[in-house]
Amino acid sequence: MRIRTVALLIILFGMLVVLSLTYAQNAPEASEKGKQVYENSCAHCHGVEGRGDGSAAENLLPKPRDFTRGLYKIRSTETGQLPTDQDLFDIITEGMPGSSMPPWETALSANDRWEVTAYIKTFYDGFKEAETPPKQISLSGKVANSEQSVETGKALYSELGCVECHGNIGRGDGTSAPDLTDEWGDQSWPANLTQGWNFRGGSDTEDIFKRFVGGLAGSAMPAFEGDSFPGFGLTAEESSRMIELDNKDEMTEAEEEESAQLYEKYDAAVDIALNLAEGTELSAEEKQIYDDAMKVVYEKSWHLANYVKSLMPEKRPEPAIGNNVLRSQYVQGELPEMDDAAWGTLEASYFPLVGQVVIEPRQFNPTVDAVNVKSYYSDTEVAFLFIWDDRTHTTDETDEETGKILEDALAVQFPVKVPQGPTAPKPYFLWGGRLPVYLWHWKASAPEQVTELTAKGISNAEVQEAQGELKAQGTYTEGQYKLWVKRALKTDDKKDLQLDPGVFVPIAFSAWDGANGDVDTKRVMTSWYTFVLEPVPSSKRFVYPPLIALLSVGFLFGLRAFVQRRNSEEV
Amino acid sequence: MKKLSLFTICLIILVGSWVFLRFVVGGIISVPIPGSVIAMYMGLIVIAILVHISVEDSLFREFRRPILETLVDDKRRLHRRVLVVLIPLLLLGYTYLIIAQRANPPGSPRDAHPSPPLELTYKDEVIGTMQDVVNPFRHYEKDDPEAFKAHVENGKRVYHQNCFYCHGDHLDGQGHFAPYLQPLPANFQDPGIIPNFQESFFFWRIAKGGPGLPAAGGPWDSAMPVWEDTLTKDEIWDVILFLSDYTGYQPRTFGEAH
Ligand code: HEC
Ligand code: HEC
Ligand code: HEC
Repeated sequence: MRIRTVALLIILFGMLVVLSLTYAQNAPEASEKGKQVYENSCAHCHGVEGRGDGSAAENLLPKPRDFTRGLYKIRSTETGQLPTDQDLFDIITEGMPGSSMPPWETALSANDRWEVTAYIKTFYDGFKEAETPPKQISLSGKVANSEQSVETGKALYSELGCVECHGNIGRGDGTSAPDLTDEWGDQSWPANLTQGWNFRGGSDTEDIFKRFVGGLAGSAMPAFEGDSFPGFGLTAEESSRMIELDNKDEMTEAEEEESAQLYEKYDAAVDIALNLAEGTELSAEEKQIYDDAMKVVYEKSWHLANYVKSLMPEKRPEPAIGNNVLRSQYVQGELPEMDDAAWGTLEASYFPLVGQVVIEPRQFNPTVDAVNVKSYYSDTEVAFLFIWDDRTHTTDETDEETGKILEDALAVQFPVKVPQGPTAPKPYFLWGGRLPVYLWHWKASAPEQVTELTAKGISNAEVQEAQGELKAQGTYTEGQYKLWVKRALKTDDKKDLQLDPGVFVPIAFSAWDGANGDVDTKRVMTSWYTFVLEPVPSSKRFVYPPLIALLSVGFLFGLRAFVQRRNSEEV
Repeated sequence: MKKLSLFTICLIILVGSWVFLRFVVGGIISVPIPGSVIAMYMGLIVIAILVHISVEDSLFREFRRPILETLVDDKRRLHRRVLVVLIPLLLLGYTYLIIAQRANPPGSPRDAHPSPPLELTYKDEVIGTMQDVVNPFRHYEKDDPEAFKAHVENGKRVYHQNCFYCHGDHLDGQGHFAPYLQPLPANFQDPGIIPNFQESFFFWRIAKGGPGLPAAGGPWDSAMPVWEDTLTKDEIWDVILFLSDYTGYQPRTFGEAH
């Protein structure tokens, strides 16, 4: 009896699982409901007819997807294949970080998301015409993350040419980065691989693996099909032997022979892959060669995914919001210069930057993600190190429309006078207003110079007469700016902010990426945060606590003596 | 089972109340209670205990018996030794933490809905008094549903060209620029916003933005733009219709209770 119940339960459970799986695989038939959801929630971006031309599209980059061509970036399927329904459902649920495509998990019910999935498929006939379900990328050969695997991946990263777009260490600053456009001719910046939180399809190792095995259809990123891998058709040892032989200045006859054989094997495998791509039937032997070759390719791809994963922090750093203040640390004597190791030991405060969409002309599609800041101060001076990623080093380009000079820049903003108390008025966060702000403005074309400004509005900034109080040094390497700035705590200039330890000072930042068309009000910015010269911890902390501890011991003994005396008196 | 001494019971009550306030009320049931409020409640409980034990002499004796025993009794030598080390150590650590604590900036209190000016203006043009001005297109809702729909549609366009970056596709304040702005963009799905104010109030907020707020609203912190610079009067009225149409909340009309 009991066994039967259990068996029945298992079968029921199994049926449920199968049911939910089939449910998960396929969207319902397109319905009126799906159309309604689409027109209500998606059409203003993706357009009523799915052409990606909704009313909001004008200001957006990447552009909302044009669904009429069946090109989807985030798929679990192989190159050239359509996405599965589950892929579409997932991307609608989770949204695409780093773009304006929002997550719909809370705003739409799962049912509505399935309906709209079915509906967007009607924009492209290929979905209806497809006879077989799309071929999914197999994740079964996953290679665990290890130092060895990351090393192998690193070598592949340059062999496969990822460097040209994504840069030597992944900051998206490769030589071809500024010139990439997608299928629709729109600018397409290669991902900064150190900022996984901006990946459209997630930054788990599996996600990364799927992205370059399957390709981001429609984007400027090529799909890495088997035969684009160096040494396709060779085992790992064979392919490294091939490279080793290639690099030799002179080969012996035996070596020449060996090299020629390896190349023959490689060429044969590439031919098979090409035939397959053209739709030619493969013989059993050819199929075997191809499958073996693909096994190696998949393994290499896992190494590559492990390497990319190793480039980014676990998660996006916490922004310095609320009590998380930029705290300048005290040092005795000279402040560290730009290259001093002392900066390495100091933790940076992270300030996420937001497109400036408050005042025209606006920046809707920012490319600079955040600025990291460190600071030390001494009895007389304060030094800052600002670090931010920018894919391009732009010092003077001319904006075609306005004729203005475009260049990379950073501005640090303080009030001229520190507001007294939490309710005291501050200057307006965007470069002041009625109350003025005091600014440090640095430009990439003059990396050793920071200009001091006083501003009473974003278009109302004045260069201060007295300059030269600031020392600065700026560098650009591997897609990253570093700016070091030093100033005296106190200056003679009435228009400067005067600094005292322990005083909380509002601070804000602006940054410009010339290659993204940033100039004047078009920029990225923060609202007000707080800066403080962290007071040296009071030496009282070594005096009072022991004193209080001692006193309490004294008190306890005193109490005991008192009670003892009283007890003996009572007796 | 041995009966618990009065002292132990009092101790249990104290610790139990603290745990209850801090973790049960201030965690499971509701949001964390501020330390000062917990301290106040604890003070009341201590007073209650003191009153209780001082009602009768015998109670007081019973209460202090374990304390006296611990101080002098030979049976309790071990307790005594532990306490004479533990109490000073705890005090040492506690005072050290208090003195070495990092100072934090004072939070800036902000009134999210300060009183509007008496007069509603667009740029320099006076539209009327805040109390009397109504949305000129609202009446279409009854008179001409087709025209009303067109205005809502236009408001939707205005919203998606200008507002969703901050206020979000779903009008829930969660646009893709929103998380790093302080204060956060308004969440129009919050039932505390649209139903509580007249449409003229929203016109004022949209036309004059953050900088138009009185000092209590922290005009220097708000990233809400000044829309009279870029939107026409009609566009502002239309976007207000869209806000209420999409969320399903009706703005307050004059004379209704707050
Ligand atoms: C605020 C504008 C906006 C709205 C609203 C919006 N999207 Fe998108 N969507 C985008 C953008 C932008 C992209 C392209 C992002 C990219 O290519 O990196 C995109 C891409 C997509 C993709 C392609 C994913 C892929 O794998 O390439 C799908 C599917 C999609 N959206 C579905 C929807 C659905 C369904 C809705 C409505 C429920 C919706 N979107 C609402 C902006 C929007
Ligand atoms: C021709 C330039 C180019 C090359 C070469 C290239 N990429 Fe990309 N990559 C791009 C662009 C452009 C994007 C952004 C795509 C988008 O979202 O539109 C991108 C995006 C990515 C992403 C982020 C995917 C996501 O979910 O947003 C990863 C990971 C990535 N590339 C890895 C690689 C690796 C690994 C290689 C080498 C095997 C490589 N790329 C080679 C241009 C390139
Ligand atoms: C740059 C981000 C940003 C944009 C763009 C923006 N807002 Fe705001 N908005 C805010 C912030 C932040 C607040 C909350 C602070 C405040 O009340 O000023 C706010 C507040 C408001 C309020 C006041 C709500 C209340 O509780 O009283 C209204 C109404 C409003 N926004 C409407 C709009 C409309 C309509 C648009 C588009 C035309 C828009 N906003 C565009 C950031 C933005």
